[in-house]
Amino acid sequence: MSSIWFLNGVRKGIKTERYPSADPAAAPQWPSRLSGNDAGNCPVDAITPEGWIMEKCIFCRRCLPDYQPTGEQGIFTVKKAETMFRKSFHVFPLDSGACGSCNMEFLSIFSPQYDANRLGIFMVNTPRHADAIVVMGVMTPGMRDALDRAYEAMPEPRLVIALGACAVTGGIVGDAPLDREKYHVEIAGCPPSPYTVLAALNAARGGINGHTDSGWGNTEVR
Amino acid sequence: MGNTEKYSVYEQVISEHKHEMPAETYQNLPGELTFAYGPATGGLMESVSFDMHTPGEVIKHVEVDPYVKTRKLKVKGLTPRDALLMVERINGFHAASNAVAFEMAVEDALDIDVPEGVQYSRLIMLELERIRSNLEVVKRVCEPAGFGVPQNQIAYLRENVARIISRLSGHRYFFSASSVGGCQISKSGIETRIGGVRKEFQEIFHALLQSKIFLNRLQNNGNISEGSLLGPAARAAGMNVDARLDGTLIPYRKLGFRPFIFDEPDAFGRFYVRSQEILASADLILEALENSENSTEADTAGMNGEGAARIESPQGDLFYYVKISDGRIDDIQMSSPSLLNIDAFRKSMAGNIFTDYHFNWESFGIWISELAVVMQ
Repeated sequence: MSSIWFLNGVRKGIKTERYPSADPAAAPQWPSRLSGNDAGNCPVDAITPEGWIMEKCIFCRRCLPDYQPTGEQGIFTVKKAETMFRKSFHVFPLDSGACGSCNMEFLSIFSPQYDANRLGIFMVNTPRHADAIVVMGVMTPGMRDALDRAYEAMPEPRLVIALGACAVTGGIVGDAPLDREKYHVEIAGCPPSPYTVLAALNAARGGINGHTDSGWGNTEVR
Repeated sequence: MGNTEKYSVYEQVISEHKHEMPAETYQNLPGELTFAYGPATGGLMESVSFDMHTPGEVIKHVEVDPYVKTRKLKVKGLTPRDALLMVERINGFHAASNAVAFEMAVEDALDIDVPEGVQYSRLIMLELERIRSNLEVVKRVCEPAGFGVPQNQIAYLRENVARIISRLSGHRYFFSASSVGGCQISKSGIETRIGGVRKEFQEIFHALLQSKIFLNRLQNNGNISEGSLLGPAARAAGMNVDARLDGTLIPYRKLGFRPFIFDEPDAFGRFYVRSQEILASADLILEALENSENSTEADTAGMNGEGAARIESPQGDLFYYVKISDGRIDDIQMSSPSLLNIDAFRKSMAGNIFTDYHFNWESFGIWISELAVVMQ
């Protein structure tokens, strides 16, 4: 039986896309970087006279037609990259109060289309083995202790990554789990697409073979 | 029942009964220990906490705390349009189910007529969501078996369905795709793509049924046929429970829909029913495409009323009750199927062994986000 599955798998061929060294094959419009100039209707104050604040945006389309999606997936900010993780980057996801969509998009980077493992990005089952913690969702009182203990259990050096509008700013649902200065990487989106998550994680460990080398995302390496 | 104070799913009446997970204490017998699992660890998609009491391998008793990540959503006082943004985020993976149930409750409260073509569009949204949700459950059932090839092949299909949803609605999770009285979807190219997913999944499903080792991990694992069950878990146990049969607004009956009922109340039965529902949902979508239409949002400003609606979400019966005063949400209640099913899961684990745990847990397809939520 195992040989049947083996042959079955081989017959399907390679399904993995070349992203992030090539353009996304199926980039969604929502969420993606928005482009516009006029003040638009926004329920989360992501549109200000100074422009669009991607970390607050829940991509609800209320700002149409003043703002339009561009399809560009680089809606993240890397404040600190850790080049020690260039060859292997182990991440521990923590759901502090998510609706489930960020959880799914994070898991999706391991599906054959994206295959994060080929880039040396792996998910681990315990923070003790993690180089980075990926926080998803708003802060809920019951998860405060788990978040603190998971962070303390991680070895140095370590990165803290906020995935999705709830984790970065609280989004429309509540309060963010941590102050923004504690995040090394902020990934916008509600939820961010697997393309965005993959590019952000790639950039967080130095951005090899990625669009980060050519200006993808907001990389502010300190 | 469910996490509402006002509705009984089985009796279909408004009541004051509130269902909560029972607070239980189990005293370990000599030689037994308590194995704590969660809330944040590998193998758990969402944060949830288990205490398993065991002498070593057999699980004697399980206590579940699904409320570690309880969120409080401020919905009351919002317009239905703004409340919808919150409702979609109760369970993002099933945003279409929650949005459509909420929209139908508002339409019931305010006597808003919705064109039948829009109801066909909603049917397409709900069934697409069911396909993706059931694919995820089947994929996760393959995972603890170390069945890497089918697991990844199904993950590939699930991602393809996410892309179909994105093309259809503009968003991979249907966020902001529908509204009270309306719906905006694009059907271009969906027929071929859904047909392709159906064909590929059917091949994987039939191959999985040939693997005796895989089936052996599922059969007689998590047997439960008594008590409160909803959705595929109920239908696997032989219960003819499906909100698609009862409702008349979404035209399931016109398409001749019949739920798939099975007589294996274990993880295998739940896997089998979910797989059959993937194929059935694809057929329903293909039939509904012809009649599907779009429509703009209805005006709810200044209106008053009280209404309710039920739909069959991928996990089971999902119910919404709303009271609207002067165009704003005065009261809102939601009953999630996961609350009943998680209690059934807890009971079904007694007598199983540790290696059975993940198969059984994943086979229920429980979502913590939809039961650990309070709407204020």
